[in-house]
Amino acid sequence: MLGLILKDFINLKKNFKIFGALILLYGFMAFAMESSSYFSSMFTLVFAMLILSTYSYDEMVKWDGYALTMPITKNNIVQGKYITMLMLTVLGFIISGISLVVINTILNVDNLFGGIQVSALGAALVILFYSITIPFITKLGIEKARFIFIIVYMVPFFLGFMGYKAIKEQGLQPPVKLIEFFEFCIDHAYIIIPVIVLIALMLSYSISIRIYQKKEF
Amino acid sequence: MSSISSVNERTKANNPNKLNFSKQEKVDMMNDIMTQNVIEIKNLVKHYKGFSLNNISFSVPMGSIMGFVGENGAGKTTTIKAILDLIHVDQGEVSIMGTAAKNLSKELKSLIGVVFDGSNLHDNLTVVNINAIMKKIYPNWDEEVYKSYLKKFQLPEGKIIKDFSRGMKMKLSITIALSHHSKLLILDEATSGLDPIIRDEILDIFLEFIQDEEHTILLSSHIISDIEKIADYVTFIHQGNIVFSKSKDELIYQHGVIRCRKEDVSAIDKSYIVGIRENNFGAEVMIQDKDRFTRKNHEFNVERTSIEEIMLFITRGKELK
Repeated sequence: MLGLILKDFINLKKNFKIFGALILLYGFMAFAMESSSYFSSMFTLVFAMLILSTYSYDEMVKWDGYALTMPITKNNIVQGKYITMLMLTVLGFIISGISLVVINTILNVDNLFGGIQVSALGAALVILFYSITIPFITKLGIEKARFIFIIVYMVPFFLGFMGYKAIKEQGLQPPVKLIEFFEFCIDHAYIIIPVIVLIALMLSYSISIRIYQKKEF
Repeated sequence: MSSISSVNERTKANNPNKLNFSKQEKVDMMNDIMTQNVIEIKNLVKHYKGFSLNNISFSVPMGSIMGFVGENGAGKTTTIKAILDLIHVDQGEVSIMGTAAKNLSKELKSLIGVVFDGSNLHDNLTVVNINAIMKKIYPNWDEEVYKSYLKKFQLPEGKIIKDFSRGMKMKLSITIALSHHSKLLILDEATSGLDPIIRDEILDIFLEFIQDEEHTILLSSHIISDIEKIADYVTFIHQGNIVFSKSKDELIYQHGVIRCRKEDVSAIDKSYIVGIRENNFGAEVMIQDKDRFTRKNHEFNVERTSIEEIMLFITRGKELK
């Protein structure tokens, strides 16, 4: 399985170079806007998108069928992808953290903690996003699954927007208990978010394994 | 997998105190080794929309090269995928080295080298990258062997695979298959689309590989001349059915072609006829059981044939009325 992860990272080498240039560009924008949180939120999200490229590269050369003739099991292939995804997310988080320190030092502002909070939230969202999408990619392949990404992105946005509009039009005040619940969630976000992410990840992994076992190559 | 040791163990189990074997016993042991099948397929059925593998059975003996031939779309790749457990079969059993293909351990899988038609290696990788990756995948990866084949095939270290020609990609896939002490090579159209010189070079490598009596090759191809050149056995698949699976020499020895006038065809015993081809000058009749036929029918001159001709007569020869 180590070989599979190594294969993904070597394949992404070219993309990493492009990302090096992007870091500079975003850094420059953050510098110009004198705000580093924009940088941190963007960066973690965009960095994690690289996992999608590894799926494309594999599909292009029908890698999976070939890899399965090697001493690799179907489960190994799924595990490899989840680990690569997590590693990319963590790597994105670390690089964005380092960049934040640099930008904050240059700008001489103290927004480091806030920036890291935003990055961490970005990382959590990324893992949640992939927990939903990886089973779809496993089932449909990357090309067909692209439509699913749009839905995963758009549906919560659209529902939120509609809900907000409906509440606003009716001039409703949210019940006190709901506000209290949200306040509770925000206060305990450091526990709640990781737990949700972990559960989603575990569910997603077991679904992907089941789908992959049934696949033909 | 080590067949010789397993045969020895079996013989010892029968007579544990015996250390010296008679000549006949040694011959029997060798026969036992030679008749061990590395791949065994029994009654394999797989249905697709518009195509089916129908009750496929054949086996590949250890130490031999099995040529797996058939036209495009005959079911060669599907059969190979079933052997490698890449598809779920509807019925039947496939075993490799005595183990069900579904339950192959990583140790056994590491003894199999596979080459598919076309390259399955990513465009951005170099041969150096592949060495690093395969080292982590195969516990028995041999870097020295890998490098020696790279040198032999003149595969450049600096270039990415995207810039490789088709022949170079194929050579690289074969290099990988040979660089982890494989005992079984499964090659699906590994020589197709290559020029005759490269094909010849690759066939020589396969012949070198098979010098070890524990090594076995299953080579699928629609280029019959390649199969004729190196195979010991030939399995012919046609429209999802196995037409024959026999020793190449036996096939060539048992079949023959009679060239005669169209009106003379009726004089040939129908039970011997495999297929008939007619042209403006007369008829060509492929017969089987050549020896018996020539003993009974002195008036016909039976000419030697080839695997390619046998296949063509079977698939395209005029049906008998």
